[in-house]
Amino acid sequence: MRKLPIYILIDTSGSMRGEPIEAVKAGLQSLFSGLKRDPHALESVQICVITFDREAKVILPMSELDNLRMPVIPPLESSPTNMGEALELMCQLYSKDVVKTSPTAKGDWLPLAVVMTDGSPSDTGLFNVMCEKLSSPSSIYRFARIIGCAAGPKAKTEPLKRFSTDVVSLETMDSNSFAKFWAWVSQSFTKHSQGTDMAMDELPPPPVEIKIAI
Amino acid sequence: MTLISATAVDGSSVQFIKKDPMQGGVKDVYFSPKKDYVVAFFRKKLDIQGKERLERLVGKYREGIFGQQGSDFWRDLYRWPEKIVEHGGLTGIVVPTYQSKFFFGRDTDRDGAEKEGKWFASAKNFNKYVPPGDKGDLLGFIRICINLSRAVRRLHAAGLAHSDLSYKNCLVDPASGSACIIDIDGLVVPNLFPPDVLGTPDFIAPEVVATSRLNKTDPGRKFPCRETDQHALAVLIYQYLFHRHPLRGKKVHSQDSVEQEFLEMGERALFIEHPTDHSNRFVIQPNDKDFLPWVDTQKLPFTLMGPYLKELFLQSFVNGLHSPQERPSADDWEEALVKTSDLLQLCPNSSCVKGWYIFDPIAKTSKCPYCGTSVKGQVPVLDFYSSHDGTNFRRENRRLVVFSGQYLYLWHVMRNMFPNEKLTEADKKAVGYFSFFKNKWVFVNQTLNSLFLIQNDNRKPIQIGSSVDLIDGSQLLLSTEKDGRIASVSLVNV
Repeated sequence: MRKLPIYILIDTSGSMRGEPIEAVKAGLQSLFSGLKRDPHALESVQICVITFDREAKVILPMSELDNLRMPVIPPLESSPTNMGEALELMCQLYSKDVVKTSPTAKGDWLPLAVVMTDGSPSDTGLFNVMCEKLSSPSSIYRFARIIGCAAGPKAKTEPLKRFSTDVVSLETMDSNSFAKFWAWVSQSFTKHSQGTDMAMDELPPPPVEIKIAI
Repeated sequence: MTLISATAVDGSSVQFIKKDPMQGGVKDVYFSPKKDYVVAFFRKKLDIQGKERLERLVGKYREGIFGQQGSDFWRDLYRWPEKIVEHGGLTGIVVPTYQSKFFFGRDTDRDGAEKEGKWFASAKNFNKYVPPGDKGDLLGFIRICINLSRAVRRLHAAGLAHSDLSYKNCLVDPASGSACIIDIDGLVVPNLFPPDVLGTPDFIAPEVVATSRLNKTDPGRKFPCRETDQHALAVLIYQYLFHRHPLRGKKVHSQDSVEQEFLEMGERALFIEHPTDHSNRFVIQPNDKDFLPWVDTQKLPFTLMGPYLKELFLQSFVNGLHSPQERPSADDWEEALVKTSDLLQLCPNSSCVKGWYIFDPIAKTSKCPYCGTSVKGQVPVLDFYSSHDGTNFRRENRRLVVFSGQYLYLWHVMRNMFPNEKLTEADKKAVGYFSFFKNKWVFVNQTLNSLFLIQNDNRKPIQIGSSVDLIDGSQLLLSTEKDGRIASVSLVNV
């Protein structure tokens, strides 16, 4: 049966310490429980969580919803924001995880991704390469949606716009606005898992607190 | 928590708690203080046409359906908007809340979630996530399908089309055989109120998908209407009876996934169990074990549901798939489903997941297809004959498969009766029952005052309160009234 892979990339550089990362954890938790309540998502969704700071790491390998454990995010330290490396890791996993449609067999649904950051990429060289790979019309890494989230006053939306289909910005990094963001993501994903690949444009509107940057 | 009091357009008072709305596609939904109704506000301001549609919905159309015979009957089948409210510049509708049977228990893994159809239509969800007490049995699913067909039949009879029938918009409870159509505010009235959505993927008719890229004003563009409801209804019924989608098979139409969906559900839609074109047959993959046995069309083909439904599935997914005018009506489905429920045989295995199966007297089904339990002995089958003049009896395409403990009803006895909203309470009572008693099959007459056993041209009256043996080759005249049927008895050895 076809699965719907979802990649979640989270910035764990030092500036996320404190309330922001706690809010992200709470957001993930409510995203997972929201998806588990949805019969469409339960049937097909699989989730992989990647963190990025000095390096990119898989903290939750691609898992079905019903045996999903909350991933452990280690304490954050001052570090660069290697977003390029995270995108590269996601693409490597994509090649491994996502079954492509062949002339004789159907593959998986087009994956979804969320990338959340409060800064801008430090590894600009690799980041540029990955942006080209992801945004090229002939890209082998096709996504139904990539949601970029720029959280907090220092986050820039421009880098995210280079590879995302939708970019939102959160002005404040308090738990309330994070909660709203993840609730919106959860609704989008739920809608998507019902909608299959045809109804991409029919998504619930984002809540008022989130600005759509595109 | 803010309690808002407002006045509905009809002058009555409406209250709701303005806090954390549940968000639907186009509406924000708030509960009343007693949770006996909800107020659903459209997020966008409605245009004149949108408002007029709502006015007709709570007015003329509602009265048309609920103001007539069997109004209680319909109340269970729809959550119909009752009032219109204007508040804060937005328009809302007042809708009764769902009955508690349409929610999973708080103590189950599903923790109070709504029983939307997808839980039951998907093989994996049905196997893994539906709590055992909520799975119902085959009879429960057939009753769900009968209820849905009825609800759609009544809408169509009123000249309306739902336009977005899907498992999202129908709540079901297999344990009690109940179904309820929700989100009725998108109703389409041909030539008056056009549809505002295309529908829900999985249920959109092929001609609507195939023409969805044309401009809205293009004369070739097809929109949801009664015929597309008929497609959606057939898909729903197939999914509830088999826990798989009738059109999602193995066939690859394009390596581009958007294009694949567009073709697979549109122009090139093909029944996975097409009798001659096998190219979309489902192929079971090693990672499909959560979906078994339901996706195995070899083991559980659509023909398992007996002759009446087989015919309608072929008419829906072969002849009518790309010819909307050939699709069976909701009426056809209701009749075929009711007739099919008379073919049910009880599975002797008390832990069988479906509990029942459709008995085929010609193939002499001797094994339950769901659990493989063998059935031994004799199965009585009653073939019905009826007459227009009381003398010449003709065979009807209708029979009753008997199990011990089964009841006979007036709609079996009389040719002109059908179990639907028109039955009175008195007509719903059983007239007798069947039993395997002291090693033989008998029928016990409870209320039939002109029941006769016909054997070798002799008529023997069977009094109320007495029983008659079911003898192979004998006949029972069920009533001497003009529309009374004759049942011809056969005992099928299995």
